[in-house]
Order: sequence, then C-alpha cells, then structure tokens
Amino acid sequence: MINFFLSLKTAVWTLFVLLCLFFIGSYMLPMHRRVFGPMNNDLLFHWVRDIAADNFWQTWWFFAALAGLVLLTVNTIFCSIQLVRGKWSHSNFLLRISPQVIHIGFLFILLAHLLGAGWGYKLSGMMPEGAYAPLPEELALRLNKIHVQTDAFGFMTDWSVEASLYENNHLVKSGTLGPNSPLFYGRTGIYLKSLNFDRGPAALLLIAKDPGAIWALVGGVLFMLGSVPLLALKWGKS
Amino acid sequence: MPFVSLSMEILLFLLYPLALYRLWLMLPALALHAVLIVSTAMKYGRIPLIGIHETLGFLAFTIGALAVIAGWKRNRDLFSYIIIPLILLLLAGSIASPAMPGALPPVLKTLWFELHVILSFVSYALFSIGAVFGILSLFYNEERAENNQYRSLLLGYVLFSTAMIFGGIWAYFAWGTYWLWTPKELWTTIVWFFYSLYLHARLVRGWTGPKVVWMGILGFVIVMFTYVGVGLLMKSSHEF
Repeated sequence: MINFFLSLKTAVWTLFVLLCLFFIGSYMLPMHRRVFGPMNNDLLFHWVRDIAADNFWQTWWFFAALAGLVLLTVNTIFCSIQLVRGKWSHSNFLLRISPQVIHIGFLFILLAHLLGAGWGYKLSGMMPEGAYAPLPEELALRLNKIHVQTDAFGFMTDWSVEASLYENNHLVKSGTLGPNSPLFYGRTGIYLKSLNFDRGPAALLLIAKDPGAIWALVGGVLFMLGSVPLLALKWGKS
Repeated sequence: MPFVSLSMEILLFLLYPLALYRLWLMLPALALHAVLIVSTAMKYGRIPLIGIHETLGFLAFTIGALAVIAGWKRNRDLFSYIIIPLILLLLAGSIASPAMPGALPPVLKTLWFELHVILSFVSYALFSIGAVFGILSLFYNEERAENNQYRSLLLGYVLFSTAMIFGGIWAYFAWGTYWLWTPKELWTTIVWFFYSLYLHARLVRGWTGPKVVWMGILGFVIVMFTYVGVGLLMKSSHEF
C-alpha cells in the first residue's frame, strides 16, 4: 500500500486523470449553468451541500477531481518525505531541496483552497450612498460617498467609494475603495464591484472573508522560490 | 493613425520572411514590430496586451525574438521554415481581429495584471518554441533539439507558474478571490498539470525520446486552445 503512495507512477497517472476530469469539467460548466452558476457566489462547501450533491450526473467530474487532488496531495507528501530522508551531500543540496520547496508551495495552495472552500464567507449586494448595513461577526459598514471621474465625453473613467467599518458599533476603519483597491479589516475584505445610478448613486459591494488567501500567497511565494534555483541548476546541467 | 499601424503590420509581412534565408535577418522585422508595440502602448497609455488583436501580435513578436535567440547559430533549416509561417499566421490573425482602442478599464489598471499577461504570453511563446524544437527532434533525430525543447518548456513552465500566481494576486484584489470555477481557469490548470506531467516524466522518470517530444508538441496544441479556443467557444472571466 505504501509503495502505491510513494510511486511516481501514481503521481503521473493522477495528473493525467485530473487533466481528463478538468477537460470534461470545462465543457460541463457552460452546459449546466443552473448547477454551476452559483459555484463562485458562495463558499464551495455550501454549493456542494446545497446543489452539487443533488445533481450528481452533472457534478461527478468535480467529486472525482477532488478525490484525485486528495490522492495527489498524499502522494506529494509521501514522495517529499522519502526524498528528504535520503542521503544528503553539499553538492546536491539545492537540487534536492528546490523540488521539495515547490511541492510544499503546491500543498499550501491546496490547503488555501480547502480553507477558502469551507470557512469564511462571501456576501454581495447593492448599497445606496449613505446606507448602513450590518455584516457578520459584529461588523457593520457605512457607505459614505461615491466618487466618479468622467472624461470629456462623459464616460466614466474611474470610480471610488468612501466607506467606514464598525465593530460592535465602534468605528474601526475608514477608507476609500476602488477597482483593485479593497478595504481590508483583519481577513475581511470589502470590494467595489460596480456602480449603479438607476435609483440614485449605489455601489455593488462584495464582502469576503477567505482564511485561505494568506496561505495561497505563502504557497505561491514558496513555489517561485523553489522554481528559480531548480531552473538555474537544471538549465546548467542540460 | 490606424492607417499607419495597418501599413506597419503589412510591412511586417514582407520583412519577417527575410528570416527564411538567415534567421538574423529577422532583426529588422523585430525592430519594426517593437516600434509598433511601443507606439500602441504610448498612444493609449497602457500595456499593449488587450484583446486578441494586440495579444496575437505580441505573441508573434515574442516567438520571433525567442527564435532568434534560440536559433542564432542555426543554418537555414526546418526551424525557420516552421517559425516564420507560424509568426505570419499569428500576424494574420491579429490583423483580422478587431483592435480595442482606448485606455484600460479601471479593474485592469494594476501592475499584477500587467505582469500576469506579459509573463503568460512569454511562456506561451516558449511553449511554441519548444514544440518547434520537438518537430526538429523528430525530423532530424537530433538530441540537441530535444534538449532545447526541454529547456524551452522548463523555462516556460516556471514563467507560466509565476504568471498564474500573479494572476491570482490580481484577482484577489479585484474580485476577492484568487480562483474562479470557469472554463478558462480549468484549461489553465490543464496546461499547468500537463507541463508538470512532462517535467515529472522527464526529470524524475528519466523519459527521453519521441514519447516526451510528442508531449511537448501536444502541449502547444493545448496552450493554443487555452489561449484562443476557450475564449471563442466558452464564456469565461477572461476575454482571451
């Protein structure tokens, strides 16, 4: 059994099966919008519980891909441990450690997805200028002012929103939101998605807490840190 | 100004084929192409990589630049006979696609987006060069070509991974998530898994010869579908 998890053949075949499953998934996503449409709007585990489990004929590839990723994770951990436990010398230290750093980065990215899929929250809605809205975890948001920049023809070129965040009715943060410029408080981010002026100035906001985001960043940095020496060493060797 | 751009693009069609005689003769075409790209950037005050028109042109330029570097010492052979038609095909696609004039939408005005797109297309170009070296390896049974394919794909993989990480950072700041379940993201993961598979097969299992060479060629087909096919056939968060 342990040889199965240690085998590179397992990794190669799992990657191949994942390729095929994602290929199928890329066709299923646009074909079954009713099932997959809400996938990005809520926590993934909520989608699995509320929608995916009841539509297994459309979502089987997703569950199979999850199983494949679990197998790949176990395989990566086993292979890395085995390689790290092997004999070390100064001459091959970087060559042996850099693939393991890449693997750890990959595992952190998977961990981030797991945390983001099950914990935290995602809310979105239209908020008129001057409105006050309660948020989870004793937080509340006030949308103070909407600013719009236009060009000579009257087209919107940029926009921003002044907002204040309260915790237990005490002001804890004020700032300006804009495209690519969310307002963060702890791990909660407030994002400006778009504006609407149909019934007076209002902003479409997304409030998201993703406990996995920081680990995805750590994973990405580790992946890059491992890739560069591996590239340099293998390039020289070839 | 659009007339000047079109004239320069048509002139490129005349200049690039000079490299069929000697690869270094691609330099005038590359210089003119660089002027075209930089002038588009200066005209609109943004990165000239928006829409299929600009990205196909940039991909053609990057493939040309990398081909000159990778094939500098090569005599006239199949390498330039594949590269030049490929560049001309991409240029033709660029000219046939509508340009997207104007400034960047606010959501794209960030360094993370620019790095994401530039690195993505440089890695696509490296995957293309790798596929061409793969064809050379099969045609001439050349070990050096197989080795060059591996080097191109290894560098392409590292840059592609970095591009995906930067794209994730941008998406987190723009949309509050570093991953969306859309066909484009799935195909990007397919590309990434595929080249991971190639590198594991070659580096760890020690595969060499036609088996891995064909993988490198197939990878190029997957990359092109991810770039052009997904955008045309499937709705996604990415336009291209």
